[in-house]
Amino acid sequence: MASGEDARALEWAELKDLFETAPCGYISASRDGVIQRVNQTFCEWLGIQGHHLVGKRLPDLLPIAGKIYYETHFAPLLRMQGEFREVALDFLKADGSRLPALVNAQERRDAEGVPQFVRLTIFDATDRRRYEQELLSARASAEQANEALRRLNAEQERIIADEVAQRMAVEETLRQSQKMEAVGQLTGGIAHDFNNMLAVIIAGLNLIQRRISPGNDDIGKLIEASMDGATKAAALTQRLLAFSRQQPLDPEPVNSNGMVAEMSELLRSTLGETIHMETVLASGLWKTVADRNQLENAIVNLSVNARDAMAGGGRLTIETGNAGIDDAYAVEHGIAPGQYVMIAVTDTGTGMTPEVIAKAFDPFYTTKGVGKGTGLGLSQVFGFVKQSSGHVKIYSEIGHGTTVRIYLPRYYGTGEASARKLSGDTPAGAAHEVILVVEDDYNVRELTGQMLRDLGYGVLSADGGQSGLRMLHEHPEVKLLLTDVVMPDMNGRQLVEEALQLRTDLKVIYTTGYTRNAIVHNGVLDPDVQLLQKPATLKALSQKVRQVLDK
Amino acid sequence: MMSRAAMHNVQISGAGPPTIVFAHGFGCDQNMWRFVAPAFEDRFRVVTFDHIGAGGSDLTAYDPKRYSTLDGYADDVVALCRELSMTGGIFVGHSVSAMIGILAARKAPELFGKLVLVGPSPCYINTDDYVGGFTEAQISELLEFLDSNHMGWSTAMAPIIMGNPDRPELAKELTNSFCRTDPDIAKRFARATFLSDNRADLDGFSVPSLILQCSDDVIAPQVVGQYVHHRLENSRIVNLSATGHCPNLSAPAETIAAINSFV
Ligand SMILES: Nc1ncnc2c1ncn2[C@@H]1O[C@H](COP(=O)(O)OP(=O)(O)OP(=O)(O)O)[C@@H](O)[C@H]1O
Ligand SMILES: [Mg+2]
Repeated sequence: MASGEDARALEWAELKDLFETAPCGYISASRDGVIQRVNQTFCEWLGIQGHHLVGKRLPDLLPIAGKIYYETHFAPLLRMQGEFREVALDFLKADGSRLPALVNAQERRDAEGVPQFVRLTIFDATDRRRYEQELLSARASAEQANEALRRLNAEQERIIADEVAQRMAVEETLRQSQKMEAVGQLTGGIAHDFNNMLAVIIAGLNLIQRRISPGNDDIGKLIEASMDGATKAAALTQRLLAFSRQQPLDPEPVNSNGMVAEMSELLRSTLGETIHMETVLASGLWKTVADRNQLENAIVNLSVNARDAMAGGGRLTIETGNAGIDDAYAVEHGIAPGQYVMIAVTDTGTGMTPEVIAKAFDPFYTTKGVGKGTGLGLSQVFGFVKQSSGHVKIYSEIGHGTTVRIYLPRYYGTGEASARKLSGDTPAGAAHEVILVVEDDYNVRELTGQMLRDLGYGVLSADGGQSGLRMLHEHPEVKLLLTDVVMPDMNGRQLVEEALQLRTDLKVIYTTGYTRNAIVHNGVLDPDVQLLQKPATLKALSQKVRQVLDK
Repeated sequence: MMSRAAMHNVQISGAGPPTIVFAHGFGCDQNMWRFVAPAFEDRFRVVTFDHIGAGGSDLTAYDPKRYSTLDGYADDVVALCRELSMTGGIFVGHSVSAMIGILAARKAPELFGKLVLVGPSPCYINTDDYVGGFTEAQISELLEFLDSNHMGWSTAMAPIIMGNPDRPELAKELTNSFCRTDPDIAKRFARATFLSDNRADLDGFSVPSLILQCSDDVIAPQVVGQYVHHRLENSRIVNLSATGHCPNLSAPAETIAAINSFV
């Protein structure tokens, strides 16, 4: 018997050893979680003696999050399922550190199926948790890498989209400028013909005016009215020509500040009482090189537009400044990068919709109703600025106002602006001051000759270059050659070259209605070329001729 | 549009006409009531449901903003009970649903004639003159844990997912079939629960209420049950011998008896 007892004792001891020293923790707990038995392994892991653990509830061994998890998930599920597997929990050790563990729990039932106690098996999950942590951070960095990649892609897409948008904008600009070019060619052609006809009418009227007897009031008035109409028509064609960039420009160094200051009196009276005008003139403003008259016209046109936009009064600001145009902007707007003088006209008026902005520079585009606007104001500004290698841009917001900025190239030289030339009278000439008029258009030739004779000059005329040269040979008394630029066989420029070989002291005036020709390069006069614009009034003709002869 | 009942996976049984509705708390779903609710089928129309985000509810209806406070859950209870044409019924709320029930009763006084509050807590964090059972530091440790330690909490929720990241189908199979919880929603529900402070809503609340208080409940300790009892003017408190936070599972008979004595 003793051996049987011994054997049982041995077996018991062995089972106890298995229980106590197993490579996992064992806990037996009551159904409501009170610890009844715990093995040595688990006690050693926690560093707590067994008798301190017995009687405690399982959640007492868990940190706060574990406690809550135990009450809200672990216990309810164990109760409902009878078991709960592979739960990751941390146990609190005696030294305050934590034991990452994997817990399995199972209800043990008696033969009738009544739950008796809960068996918990606890594995040390330190390694596994570390591995899982690595897995997680690997996943996190993979996600991060993905995210970075995604962002990179998005960035790439954005860059491409920007690029495309920019190219489209450049193309749009190009298309727009081509359209303006085409419209310009068309208007230019018409305006040129129209101009010649006007020259005839104006010259004719001038002559009639001088001839009719002073007492004849009725005819005088009629002529004055016709003259008025013709002058207006001439001004209109000037604007058309300006837009088509075929108007001869006479650029000179311009101090825009001085110019704006000089104009402000005139502008104030034009703008009226209800519009407050101010100028903001930059100090150290660069000079630009431009045709003074055209620049003045442009500023007047912009100011008049501003006035029209501020029917109820407002504020008009003319501002000057130095500006650099960088490569990106230059490419986008089809201009040369570099330094520019900026003149901005700002109003607090109605503003313009994007649709109106898109069309504003088109000739004859107006929103101002019949008889009120010709739609050529901004066209002049546009044509002049482009012809001067500058740039113009509208910024506008409905209800707030409009700013139009003109950029003209900086002038690097030191030359000073010449004094204003024109005076109000009609200086006369003398018969010994012989002028040779070369002009292929019969009417224009006759009328110009007639006007010069009326002014007192001696006049010879020729209908082209060859006959002109012949006349010069035969008439050494000719002091001044007045020649058209565009003529069939020999143009004005060639004529003048040969004439000057013959007569180095000969004075020359070109007349022209437009600039697509020899004396003007890119619409800009060669220095020392004297130009008389067609159609010329008697006054303009008299002044120009006098000025050149007196030089 | 889906009915409220369908959205909340409502189960109805029992005779009626008086209605008793059982609401589960944080951590599980209507299965929480599986040992208790059937005991009332002979006298009541018995309604159990899942809060949106829990169990078999319509997860697509989960709106983080709406459910960031208990108010959203209370609005759900009101809408659901109205759809069920409840008036003067009995609301039995476990854990955080005890307070949800009080909020719902305040919004729609006609719904409930009596409330049973199992392990209620109007505020989990201690203040100068109030013991909620948790320090502010403990609750922020819990919330930080939920937010930052994806591992601990979600693993605990769905342990197998982490063990077999390549075979998520295993997780479905092996995790419990009773309390299905989306870890992300569970985190948000924990936040709404443990940061709530509805103590002021106890004042002036006079619907007859029964408080069931467990012994040794870390989540809603004795003092909190006493506090609720003192502040609710028309309340009774029964101290259960059951330990822990879920007497509805660990001591269904005791829980049933206590409720029966009240309704
Ligand atoms: N400052 C401005 N504020 C609001 N709209 C403007 C302004 N400037 C121009 N516009 C709009 O652009 C259109 C074209 O202007 P543009 O100067 O070319 O012609 P116009 O002023 O109508 O006529 P014109 O100047 O020939 O008398 C105007 O009719 C107007 O609709
Ligand atoms: Mg205008």
